[in-house]
Amino acid sequence: MNDTPADQVRLPRETKGKRPRFFDDPAIDQMMTFMLELTTEVAVLRERMDTVERLLEERGSVTRAAIEAYQPSAAVEAERNAWREAYLKRIYRMHPPV
Amino acid sequence: MVAQASEIPVPNIEELFRPTHDERARQGMVSFIRKLAIIDMRRALKEDYESRIEPRLDREGRKPADWQTIEKAMQQEHIFRFYSAVRYNAQEMCYLSVQPAVERALPAMVGLARDLAVRNPAGGSLRLNPDLELPKYITALDVHLTPGWVHSEHTADDVAQGAVVSFGGKVFTGQHPYRKRPGVVGESIAYWIGKKYPNFAPRRILDLGTTSGKNLLPYCTAFPQAEVHGIDVAAPVLRYGHALAEHEGLAAHFSQQNAEQTDFPDGHFDLIVSSFFFHEVALKATRKILAECKRLLAPGGLMVHMELPDEASVSPYENFFWNWDTHNNNEPWYTAFRAEDPLALCAAAGFDAARSFKLHIPDIATFGEERHARFMRGELPSPAHGAGGWFVFGAERG
Repeated sequence: MNDTPADQVRLPRETKGKRPRFFDDPAIDQMMTFMLELTTEVAVLRERMDTVERLLEERGSVTRAAIEAYQPSAAVEAERNAWREAYLKRIYRMHPPV
Repeated sequence: MVAQASEIPVPNIEELFRPTHDERARQGMVSFIRKLAIIDMRRALKEDYESRIEPRLDREGRKPADWQTIEKAMQQEHIFRFYSAVRYNAQEMCYLSVQPAVERALPAMVGLARDLAVRNPAGGSLRLNPDLELPKYITALDVHLTPGWVHSEHTADDVAQGAVVSFGGKVFTGQHPYRKRPGVVGESIAYWIGKKYPNFAPRRILDLGTTSGKNLLPYCTAFPQAEVHGIDVAAPVLRYGHALAEHEGLAAHFSQQNAEQTDFPDGHFDLIVSSFFFHEVALKATRKILAECKRLLAPGGLMVHMELPDEASVSPYENFFWNWDTHNNNEPWYTAFRAEDPLALCAAAGFDAARSFKLHIPDIATFGEERHARFMRGELPSPAHGAGGWFVFGAERG
């Protein structure tokens, strides 16, 4: 039994077990984590901007509360998904094998 | 069993999860990174293997290659290294992207689950055993790279890992073409059973390693007359699953037990199922669990387990692909389980070899009923495991 109050729980962010290395230089494994996190953060910013633009178009003004409350329609979600797919394709452009 | 509609709606524990705008955006993006790895990069990897690497192995006299030779060759390739790195990081990010919202929701989630465990408005139940010893294959590593896996308890009556696994799983499958909805494996098996054994009417059903019952609940709807049970060694996922089932009006009975040795009487169940289960347990435990299935199954009963296809059922390349998870997804028993013939495992547990089976069945959400009928008539093959089909093995008990 753990007696930490439920409102003070901080879930573990690290995984128990040995982390595999895929590259000869472990720095590249670390860089891949940075890269993928950054890829995600750029997409988050872009989506926030998209919400702001849509709110401005619809209402002519925007507040942080309105951004939080914004619920994308299925059509908006489909547009965003198409953007996410194309965005990843642009970033992860593999060189031809040598 | 499906309970009578209650007057007062039972709150949904999943509605307490309220990610911020940016957290939702992050989860949405992570689903696409996961899809990039498991669909797009996986396809590119196979094409590269077939067009360039396999011919090279051939020239070097190393073909036909077994999966270990393929793995060794691939580990030197850029494309495999990047595929692996993207896949590994995406897996971690699925869980990381939902944890903050789970932390905020936790007090309310714990409160709701606690209340529903007392009231059981749908007529299900939750039976926990705090003295149950957790097997080492559960606690040694965080399986699937889920920090805390299914069993860690961070507060009294904790449900956090249930929420992390459930919402992380939604991010994980968010853009997967063959994981259309939670529980689709249970749905597909139940549908196949209905067609294969049209007169089969199980009185009691048991799901092993049920976690939060995602693949258990479809049996409540498919066999509404049956009493439906799910067992797992991990309390947080059981509490969470029980709360979900009660919200959905499904009377499912969750109990904290080790499938190697349960407290149910002999011949108690007509149908025993599991999904994504055996490859996570030690091989010694697998043998004990199948023997326990034999004990629990009533005469005329049926056992169907959805699992990864065994080594002998697929090509060396596919074996190389599947076994990636062993070291890279903290699933140490994966390769050892896949090396076994499931029919031999059933035979060793006392099942009649002539009444044991292994086959691929179609994923009902993507295959459709009309094509399923043609599959049943032997006119169409099932798609491969994870690509529109599911591999199952099991036995009929005479």
